[in-house]
Amino acid sequence: MSQFSFVEATDWQCAACNQPLEATKVQVTYLKSAFHVELMTCPKCGFTLIPEDLAVGKMLEVEQLLEDK
Amino acid sequence: MNQIQLRELESKCIQEEYPFCSAACPIHVDVRAFMASLAKGDTRGARRVLDRTMPFPEILGRICDQPCRSQCKRVEIDAPLAIGRLEQFCVGATNTVIKLPKLPSKGGKFAILGAGLSGMTAALDLSRKGRPATIFTSSASPGGSLQQLEESILPGKVFAHAQEMLAHYGVEIQTSINMNQENITALVHEYDAVYCDLDDLDQSLLPFAPNTVDAITLATDQAGCFAGGGKTAEGSFSPVYQAEQGRRAALSIERFIQNVSMTAQREKEGACATRMYTSIEGIAPTAEITPGDEPAGYTAEEAKNEAGRCIQCECLECVKQCVYLQEYKEYPKPWIRKIFNSQTIVQGTRAANKMINACSLCGQCSVICPNDFPVAEVCRSSRVDLVETGHMPPSPHEFALEDMEFSLSDYCALVRHQPGTTRSSYVFYPGCQLSGSNPEAVKQTYAFLRDTLGGGVGLLLGCCGIPAHWAGRDQLFAETMEAFTKDVERLGNPTVITACTSCLSVFKEFVPNMNTVSLWNILDKVDLPTQTTKPARALTLHDPCTTREQSELRASVRSLCEKLKIEVVEHDFTGETTDCCGYGGLMQYANRKLGEKAVARKAERSELDGLAYCAMCRDNLAAHGRPVAHLLDYLFATTEDDPLSRTNPGYSRRHENRARLKSDLLANLWQEETIERPAHTAIKIQLNAEVEQLLNNRLILLEDLQKVIHHAENSGSYLLNPNNGHRLAKYRPIRVTYWVKYEPIEEGFLVHNGYSHRMILPEDQK
Ligand code: SF4
Ligand code: SF4
Ligand code: SF4
Ligand SMILES: [Zn+2]
Repeated sequence: MSQFSFVEATDWQCAACNQPLEATKVQVTYLKSAFHVELMTCPKCGFTLIPEDLAVGKMLEVEQLLEDK
Repeated sequence: MNQIQLRELESKCIQEEYPFCSAACPIHVDVRAFMASLAKGDTRGARRVLDRTMPFPEILGRICDQPCRSQCKRVEIDAPLAIGRLEQFCVGATNTVIKLPKLPSKGGKFAILGAGLSGMTAALDLSRKGRPATIFTSSASPGGSLQQLEESILPGKVFAHAQEMLAHYGVEIQTSINMNQENITALVHEYDAVYCDLDDLDQSLLPFAPNTVDAITLATDQAGCFAGGGKTAEGSFSPVYQAEQGRRAALSIERFIQNVSMTAQREKEGACATRMYTSIEGIAPTAEITPGDEPAGYTAEEAKNEAGRCIQCECLECVKQCVYLQEYKEYPKPWIRKIFNSQTIVQGTRAANKMINACSLCGQCSVICPNDFPVAEVCRSSRVDLVETGHMPPSPHEFALEDMEFSLSDYCALVRHQPGTTRSSYVFYPGCQLSGSNPEAVKQTYAFLRDTLGGGVGLLLGCCGIPAHWAGRDQLFAETMEAFTKDVERLGNPTVITACTSCLSVFKEFVPNMNTVSLWNILDKVDLPTQTTKPARALTLHDPCTTREQSELRASVRSLCEKLKIEVVEHDFTGETTDCCGYGGLMQYANRKLGEKAVARKAERSELDGLAYCAMCRDNLAAHGRPVAHLLDYLFATTEDDPLSRTNPGYSRRHENRARLKSDLLANLWQEETIERPAHTAIKIQLNAEVEQLLNNRLILLEDLQKVIHHAENSGSYLLNPNNGHRLAKYRPIRVTYWVKYEPIEEGFLVHNGYSHRMILPEDQK
């Protein structure tokens, strides 16, 4: 997951900042591991979008792997 | 678990023991595999099985005296398999399929005196092991007494074939030797070890005292001199015994040369006992197939049919019933080794974690197993081990543990004497699942108990802590038990009446001195309510898995059904062998799909609609789509609708029901107010049935949705889709980030979707 980009065009916009989301390199963590991934976030406040298919797909898979380490 | 415990447990599972036929076979031919091949019409495959074990299939396959046959399991059904005849068919129809490898020479020189079947076998086995062997016989050709058999039984060509085989492995054969005392003594001195084949030696010339042959090692009083073959202890001539003796001698000689123990671990050489267990229930008798043309033996078709009668003896009794063992494609012997390996791993993936957490701990397997293999105990103690070593993954049990925490919180838990009294003879303990599933039943049951039992009937709402016990959280469980015990003490130690069989099983095990009794037991002893109802059709009764050891309780339930005139049709898996509904051991949280398979199995034990007396069983069976009622529904007419059609309330409604039950009871019976729930619970949410089901499967509660929307609407932090006005918000209360897609509507919010993850986003990292 560490090299992955999950960037895709999206209609979602940050309501608080009234901004479209932009591809950004961020770090997500779980248990004792950290991953650098590219996700859509709000350039102003940093709100990170995790789309449903990512949450119940790849992300879940990685979480499960880490849990058994 | 240490190595010794592992071995001990492994040995309880007898699935890998010899089947009855192979155990009785002195050289342990894999008869079961032989039959399986023949039954498929694969005669070469069957020959391969013989080639692997029989020293000389061309000989033994034709004349084996089949001591296995009388031990064949099928004897208990109709007639044993015609094992010897089928071997005759096989060797008659095939040539050698595999030749076992010859190991590189390990040195030494070995003499075989006598060329009967045992001598030939000893020579063959030794040379295969890389131990050069030479056969000496006074006869003109090898075969010993077998040479006297008629051509129709043992054609002469088989001896030529045997000689070729011996030559192939480098055995030297010296025929027409003058075997006098002098020559024999010289051979004994010259060779590193000798084997005397009693079938082909003049008994007066033996180089040792004849009565000194050891039955296990075949050693004699002369060091390095072994002897065997000849007549069996019963005084008969048995070809397969000859082969076994030769094989035993070769093994002894190898041990002798290596100077290792001559006797250790030889119990399974030769015909032996087996602990195999095979159920023959439901196997219809079929007549033995005999050859149409007796002297010619079986035709291919006849052989195939006769071999098809083999029931492929094995145990797997536990696996046949348990969806968990089926899912992981294991029977307990290899299963426990996997757990052991996973537990002892220092680094890397703990491959058995998922397996350890998926068992329902229901104990069905142990009841079914001939040796009571304790799968559930092993799983639970492995979970404790994972918790204690910090390796328990968070996701399998967290939801259930938080649910339990909520049941025990001030929002749901309650301890009271009966309104208007200050002492309790009894206290009603409905348990968290009945309170969540059917709060109306709790209210009515409590009212009935107050009216019926004297001396004050208190009420205790909470959770017995079994989720913590199942999750291996022993400390949390102990704390829960202690708090519960204190509550009961504060009420003056009344008798605790439990509606839930799991609660009762926990109390009986962990607070054995407390007075506890099942609600069913109480109800069976008093006059029943006047307004009872009954179903229009016969139902099958589903015992919960936690009643496995509570026969009295099960009897009370049946007696109640009789009094209610409910027509109950028992199926085969009730009582001690009843199935788990998928909730046990937190199976459905650790592995949702497997939980669904478990309840499907339980439901499908009968064609009939069901009657349950555990709230969790009832709701899981209902979720599976089976009409099913709870016994309390008929006792107290808890609903206007048909109790059989009540749907599964799901996790969210259970959660809310528990809180509402407390506030309703407090308000109506004690005229008290409940503590107020947090502000987010005031948020009104609407969702359609499909979304509700999806969120239930994803273990997302209504309250989680409320938390997210509350957070988003108060902070203004959410995403917006300008095309349709939908909002997407997230919130991480503790360890899970919840996402909700919703839109504001006139009254509250309409939720379109929800999902979650455990990974921590940058904005939530501290
Ligand atoms: S019932 Fe299961 S655990 Fe018991 S011996 Fe048979 S296969 Fe092994
Ligand atoms: S039924 Fe088959 S496996 Fe069982 S004892 Fe007989 S031959 Fe062996
Ligand atoms: S689910 Fe029940 S029957 Fe299956 S292995 Fe676990 S305890 Fe045994
Ligand atoms: Zn923003």
